[in-house]
Amino acid sequence: MIFKWFDERLELGKFKDKFLSKTFPAHPTFLLGEIALFSFITLVITGIFLGFIYEPSSKLVSLFGAMVPAAYASVVRIDLLPMGMIIRRIHHWSAMIMIAAILVHLMRVYFTSSYRKPREINWLVGLSLWSIAMGAAFTGYLLPYSNFSVTATSIAYYMSKSVPWIGGWISSLLFAGDFPSSGIVPRFFFMHVMLIPTALIGLISLHMLILVKQKHTEPLSNKNRKEAEGGRRLIGIPIWPEQTVISMSFYFFLLFVVVLIATYIPLNPIEIYGPPSPGTPVMRPDWYFLVVYGFLKLIPGDLSFTVLGGKITPETIGGVIFPSFTILVFALIPFLDRSREPQNYIENPLHRPFMTSFGIGGGIFLCMLVIAGYIDVLHITPEKMTVYTIIASLAAWSISYTLLRFYNRKRMGGGHVK
Amino acid sequence: MVDETTGDKEDKTGITRRRFTLGVIIASIAGALGSLLSLLKVLAPEKKGGGYVSTIKPGDRFIYAKGANTGDYIKVSSLNIGDAVLAFPEGKTSNHANIVQLIKLDESAYKAPTHIKYTDQGLVAYSAICTHLGCTVSWVENEKSPDTSYTECFCHNSIFDPTRGAKVLGGPAPIPLAQIGVKVRDDGTLVFTSDFTGPIGPQV
Repeated sequence: MIFKWFDERLELGKFKDKFLSKTFPAHPTFLLGEIALFSFITLVITGIFLGFIYEPSSKLVSLFGAMVPAAYASVVRIDLLPMGMIIRRIHHWSAMIMIAAILVHLMRVYFTSSYRKPREINWLVGLSLWSIAMGAAFTGYLLPYSNFSVTATSIAYYMSKSVPWIGGWISSLLFAGDFPSSGIVPRFFFMHVMLIPTALIGLISLHMLILVKQKHTEPLSNKNRKEAEGGRRLIGIPIWPEQTVISMSFYFFLLFVVVLIATYIPLNPIEIYGPPSPGTPVMRPDWYFLVVYGFLKLIPGDLSFTVLGGKITPETIGGVIFPSFTILVFALIPFLDRSREPQNYIENPLHRPFMTSFGIGGGIFLCMLVIAGYIDVLHITPEKMTVYTIIASLAAWSISYTLLRFYNRKRMGGGHVK
Repeated sequence: MVDETTGDKEDKTGITRRRFTLGVIIASIAGALGSLLSLLKVLAPEKKGGGYVSTIKPGDRFIYAKGANTGDYIKVSSLNIGDAVLAFPEGKTSNHANIVQLIKLDESAYKAPTHIKYTDQGLVAYSAICTHLGCTVSWVENEKSPDTSYTECFCHNSIFDPTRGAKVLGGPAPIPLAQIGVKVRDDGTLVFTSDFTGPIGPQV
């Protein structure tokens, strides 16, 4: 009845045929992107709640008799609301899960070479989504304006300032003048709740539209099955109704898990960090920044030099050059590992010794940098840790490469492997 | 003349309709963007002075920067060997560049390049702002042998040797923490006696 009323006015039938009957792959690893998307939805919903109460200002106000920044006071107020602290933790946990899900999704695409023609554009869109999601997380760090927030943001301020030639201008633009200025909380608030989410929504839509247009990659086994059946259609389940039911129950299951984590595992306890104070707490960033954090610990402090009047410091290398270089390598992958023909089937990672071992080596390298973030706890000197990192990554790369070559030679019966 | 691919006609000036339209579009975009460039200046405010500029003057008195006694005068009698506290000059606590770490060790522990003339009764003061990325440094006390205690920045684990002019012992900090003169007054309170001996704050 209702459908008919709308259909007569909006021609929903056409839409249904075109989009809702799209096939969805029936394989669990294709749910990774969905985890990221669903976390984003949770972030938006909890963010709306937090946004109603949060006050973006660093002006001093009275809270239980102490003078603290208004932003900090308003987050304490959120924590005191019924369910308030849970909502804030769900928000923070969802952000961590979203970035993790994007990373694992990216790894899945990498190892199955699903980035190849014609999907290079979507690889780049996905990469941008990942970077911007981290920008969202970073701007969110500052908002509670606790001692932790201010210290973390101050470190990032000096890192951006260390960009050669234009660092002073960039840091001034991003952080509204010298840190900490009174303009920084409104600026970060605007970026966090308006600019970045808008960019994310735009890019997510683009990501999905391209996906719908290009269809997803399929396991090789589907190829044989299709050839046997003589059909050209993708094998999978339609979005409506089957996949909708699966996705909805999956969303609520994910929400259940996040609420469970948020209920029992504290995160960013601003009441313990306290408002900004002269002292600096012992602190480590959230997991996705640990790579940069660890890298900064490994670089020797006297490694600075001047190129064309621009000063390159260890912070430039660790905080600017290294992350940009990593993103650049990711961005170049589909253009270095090309296929001439459009490739619509996923490849078995075991059959691609070079790319797979490169991915494993790179992954181990990033993991070692995370461990480098803990050298003070582990009592390892930076020099030793640098050596361990290089050895572990090279070993992981060469060993996995050798093993995969060996495996493929056996598989092909001693034939030549590319 | 007629352009064969587009069918555009040239007039006396020799400009096709297509080229003219393209010129108008480019000029309008360039004009619009150019006029907006000034906004970048507004969004990135002028530097107030650039980085950390201390306003400590000789004669300023040391007060506690944090803890229960915040704001009180620091007295020499309240510090034991191996202790260190964060201090501000009295009345100048709003400028974070003024924060110093005041350390008390055995007088004989100090060696060059520490400025011995700026120490008094085993007291030495260094800028408490890490020269790496600007976190406030902390004190790691070795109770068994106080002279091997050291200053550490917990952000990226830069370690400074207080007995040798806050020389960098490890970690990413590029230069030592700057020393500043300290003297004990007759009433047991402490005053600054000099400026910082070197640059303070992150060296970016």
